Amino acid sequence: MMATLLEAMRMVMAPDVLIAILLSAVYGLVVGSLPGLSATMATALLVPVTFYLSPIAAVATIVTASAMAIFSGDIPGCLLRIPGTPASAAYTDEAYAMTRKGQPELALGICVWFSAIGGIVGTLSLIVLAPPLAEMALNFSTFEYFWLALLGLMCATIVARSSPVKAIASMLFGLLVSCIGIENPAGTPRFTFGSPNLLGGIEVIPSLVGAFALAEVMRAMTAPEPPKPERRRFGSLLRGMVGLTRKYPVPQVRGNIVGIIIGVLPGAGADIAAWVSYSMAKRFSKEPEKFGTGHPEGLIEAGASNNASLASGWVPSLLFAIPGDTITAIAIGVLYMKGLNPGPSLFTEKASSMYALYIIFILANILMIPLGIIMIRLASNILRAPRAGIMPVIVLLCGVGSFATGANLFLVTTVAAFGVIGYFMERFGYPVAAMVLGIVMGTMVEQNFVTSLIKSDGSIWPFFSRPIASVLALLTFAALLWPVVAWLRRQARARAVQGA
Amino acid sequence: MKLSDRLTGLGLVALGVAAYLGGSKLPPVPGQQVGPNVFPMVVGAGLAICGALIALGVGSKFEEEAEAEVAQHADPAAASAPPRVGPAWLDTLRTFAPPLLLLFYVLVVERIGFVPTAFIVVFATSLAMGARLKLALPLAAVAPVLAHLVFYKLLRVPLPAGWLPMPW
Repeated sequence: MMATLLEAMRMVMAPDVLIAILLSAVYGLVVGSLPGLSATMATALLVPVTFYLSPIAAVATIVTASAMAIFSGDIPGCLLRIPGTPASAAYTDEAYAMTRKGQPELALGICVWFSAIGGIVGTLSLIVLAPPLAEMALNFSTFEYFWLALLGLMCATIVARSSPVKAIASMLFGLLVSCIGIENPAGTPRFTFGSPNLLGGIEVIPSLVGAFALAEVMRAMTAPEPPKPERRRFGSLLRGMVGLTRKYPVPQVRGNIVGIIIGVLPGAGADIAAWVSYSMAKRFSKEPEKFGTGHPEGLIEAGASNNASLASGWVPSLLFAIPGDTITAIAIGVLYMKGLNPGPSLFTEKASSMYALYIIFILANILMIPLGIIMIRLASNILRAPRAGIMPVIVLLCGVGSFATGANLFLVTTVAAFGVIGYFMERFGYPVAAMVLGIVMGTMVEQNFVTSLIKSDGSIWPFFSRPIASVLALLTFAALLWPVVAWLRRQARARAVQGA
Repeated sequence: MKLSDRLTGLGLVALGVAAYLGGSKLPPVPGQQVGPNVFPMVVGAGLAICGALIALGVGSKFEEEAEAEVAQHADPAAASAPPRVGPAWLDTLRTFAPPLLLLFYVLVVERIGFVPTAFIVVFATSLAMGARLKLALPLAAVAPVLAHLVFYKLLRVPLPAGWLPMPW
């Protein structure tokens, strides 16, 4: 244990890793703060760079950049009332109201301070949760993995902030995309329409880059340019933070816990964590009437929540290759490439790498405070960058970056195609994250489904007879029926109101 | 009940049916009960069912609630901002400029090389976003060269040289 920890320390303290952490921190802070560029986009555009880094440095860039970007998205929310990333949307109003009251320091201070604490608590949850789950998962067979994957897909549809039917449709569309090519248990070409490019299937990274980055640029093309912040000098940002931490222990801890739970749920990430936590803060607050007028409570709870969800999103990703959010959906691809194949054995065979991951997470969140403060002080300059000067570069990076992942121009075509798909999905209310989860997990679901059926000789019974498998199956069906129950309850309530 | 839901729902029904039929034509693996056809058929059937439900407007209540919550938090000034001047087809063209330019990149990059193609992509996107020449030209001149330096030299990505080979 001690030797592993020391080994992990040595891995993180290598110069290339430290430089990677520092550079990706700056990158994440800048990208996250620019409205329209999300943390997922920041991560996706990093992938080609991670190819050429050592495994630990590659993971470090993703962890650091995503954590910084989620915090940094709060900055334009406070200053301009425009969330830098979707994860800040839930409390942008509140933060901006504080700025209008003349307390921008307090709002930004809360964002940086409680983001960092949330990130560290989330990391602790990863440290505590992952190893015992890994031990349990060592006994899993294809039956359990099948249900786990299906449950993951269903969870993503429940928490999506959209119609559950549309979320399931998006997820099924993703599964259908994953059918393309010969990567199926039988090795039969499917839906390739005679194209050699489609034989290899649709690659995950370019489809993510298209759906998250290019689609975002497409939306920005006709959206009005965001206003520029006025130049201002900030006073002390951390003043009063310790006092607030003492004053609001419950919202903070609740935010952390909710963030951790939502992070662990597949496909649901920081943005959903922030929405849920903000509304929880309001519901349980003693002063709910103050919400929306620049009250710190909701900001603390939601700010703590979205950063906590980032770390716990790695739990299912590392254990089962089931992405906890869209960022880890990308990270899983990088882990495979770097020989850190997700699975329970990762925690025994590559224990030092896992400790290194924990250390990087904590380091990144500690670094967030000084670097975040510098970023806040420079923000009014960075946010002045014209959008027409940034988006064209993003388009170019989408193209070259995806090409770099396989030196094949078809990858660039994939980006273009998924840009259009992502644009239309968002426009018509289909959650893109659910589709991405389908693409990422399709092969896994099918593989475990078919292998299990072959093992059981075509019988359905073993899917339900093993104890853990039966629990997982029950949860999956509960997740499927949940929207129906919610609908029935609403109908009953509406009838009660009408009757009264 | 939105028209878009009806259209996208019916589109999904068509896609689901196509996937089901396409899947059912796949050859089975001899000696195995579960072939490569099962999974696409299950997914296709599910997609068709969901599409039908969407076309019928099931679940749209959930969506309206989420939208109302977002609208409640959004800046009312931004929502009521005047739309840009210009005909609708121009806005559509601008929206689809990024994917079209990437397809253009795919078609010509091997012939004319990375830097000239990237110049056109960046320049055109920048203009489509309404940048002045003062910004678009220097950006299009510098960004491709920097991208080439990083991806070709540092990351060793085989970018075609074409008309304008770089000195590194």
